[in-house]
Amino acid sequence: MNPATARPFLRYLPTRRRICISRSYAVQSPGNPTLQIFNRHTKYLQKERAAADPERSRQVDYLKDEVAMRLSERLLDINRHFDHVLDFGANSCNIARALTLPDPDPDPSKTSSPPLSTRLSHLTAADSSRTMLYRDADLPFNKEINLTRHVLDDEESLPYEAETFDAVLSSLSMHWINDLPSVLAQINHILKPDAPFIAAMFGGDTLFELRTSLQLADMERRGGVSPHVSPLADVRDMGGLLQKAGFKMLTVDVDDIIVDFPDTFALMQDLQSMGENNAILGREPGAIKRDVLLANEAIYRALHGNEDGTIPATFRMIYMIGWKEGPNQSKPLPRGTGQVNLADILGGGEVK
Amino acid sequence: MPARTRPIDKFAQAVAKCSTEASVYGKCIVADYNSVHKDKCLTEFMRLKDCYMAAAKK
Repeated sequence: MNPATARPFLRYLPTRRRICISRSYAVQSPGNPTLQIFNRHTKYLQKERAAADPERSRQVDYLKDEVAMRLSERLLDINRHFDHVLDFGANSCNIARALTLPDPDPDPSKTSSPPLSTRLSHLTAADSSRTMLYRDADLPFNKEINLTRHVLDDEESLPYEAETFDAVLSSLSMHWINDLPSVLAQINHILKPDAPFIAAMFGGDTLFELRTSLQLADMERRGGVSPHVSPLADVRDMGGLLQKAGFKMLTVDVDDIIVDFPDTFALMQDLQSMGENNAILGREPGAIKRDVLLANEAIYRALHGNEDGTIPATFRMIYMIGWKEGPNQSKPLPRGTGQVNLADILGGGEVK
Repeated sequence: MPARTRPIDKFAQAVAKCSTEASVYGKCIVADYNSVHKDKCLTEFMRLKDCYMAAAKK
C-alpha cells in the first residue's frame, strides 16, 4: 500500500472512531437509603378496620387512654401557655380526651384546678387513618377543647411549615414509623425555638412474653421463626436519636404497664382491635396457623403465666421530652466545670 | 338471638378445655427452651391437638 494514502487514513481513523468514555463512579443517591421495616399501607388498613367497629375499638382504648393521660400530666411540669399544639399520630384523639379530664394534679389542696386543655389554645390532631381519627368526633369532649383533625397522607413526611407549633405531643404511634431519625428531625423543624416535644412510644421489651412464646411455638411446630412482634426502639437508642435530630435538654424514662389477660387469644384480639397487629414487611401473609396458636397458648402459660390462671402482657412505655434549641435556653455546663463533688452531697463512700 | 361467636372465640373455648394437656406440652418446651427444634414435643402436642379436636366437636 502507498504510504501517502495510508497516512491520512491512519491520521483520521483514531479521531473518527474515538469512543467517548465517560467515567462514572457508584454514587449514593442523596439522603441515606432508609430501611423499611413496616408496611405503612398495611398499618393504615389495620387501623381503618379497627376503627370501623367503634364499640369494640373504644373497649380496647384502655392502654392508649392511660398513656395519653400520663403523657399529658407531663405538660403540668411546664409552666407555660401553648398557643398551637400538634398531636402527631393521634389515633382516636386520646390526648385531646385526656387533656379535657379534670386536672390530674395529685396535690389535694388544688383539687378544683381547671383541666389541662385550658393551657392550650389550639390542638391539631394528625393521623393517617381517617376513620380512627374521626371515631370520637361526636363525643362531648370535642366541645371542651379547640380541636382540629388533620388526616395525613403519610406520617413520615409532615406537611407543616417550619416553626409552626409551640409543642408537639405524640402518644403510642411512633413505633410504626420506619424512618424515625427523619421524623424526629422534621418534628424539630416544625417546632418554634425553645418549644418542647413530648412523646410516648412502645419500646424495648413490650410484649416480650408474646414474642418469646410465639418464637418457641413457631420453632417447635414449623422448624423456623417468622416475625410476629415488631422490633422496637430501645431506651438507650432514643436518647441518641433525639440528640441526632437536634433536640436539647433530653429527658427519657421508661414505665412498664403490665396487663393481665385471660388467655393469649384475648390478648391478640385486643391488639387487633387497637389496630396494633403485625405490620412487619417480612411477615408471612395470612393468619397464624392454628397449630402454632395452640402451641403458643400452652407455651405462654408455661413460660410466663400467672398463678391465678391469667397471663401477663408487658407494655414498656418510653417517655421522652426534648427541647428545640432556642435563645436564652439553659444549657448544660461544659465538662470539668463542676465545683462540688457529688459524693459529698449524696453521701456514698469510696468504691472499693 | 345470641351474638355471633367469632371463630377465634370458639377456638379459645375449645382450647380452654384442654388445660392439662396444654400444661404438659408447655412443660416439655420450657424444660429446655434453648434447644427447641421441630417436633421436639410432638407426642405431647398431638395429645393436646386430639383433645382440642374432641372439644371443638362438642
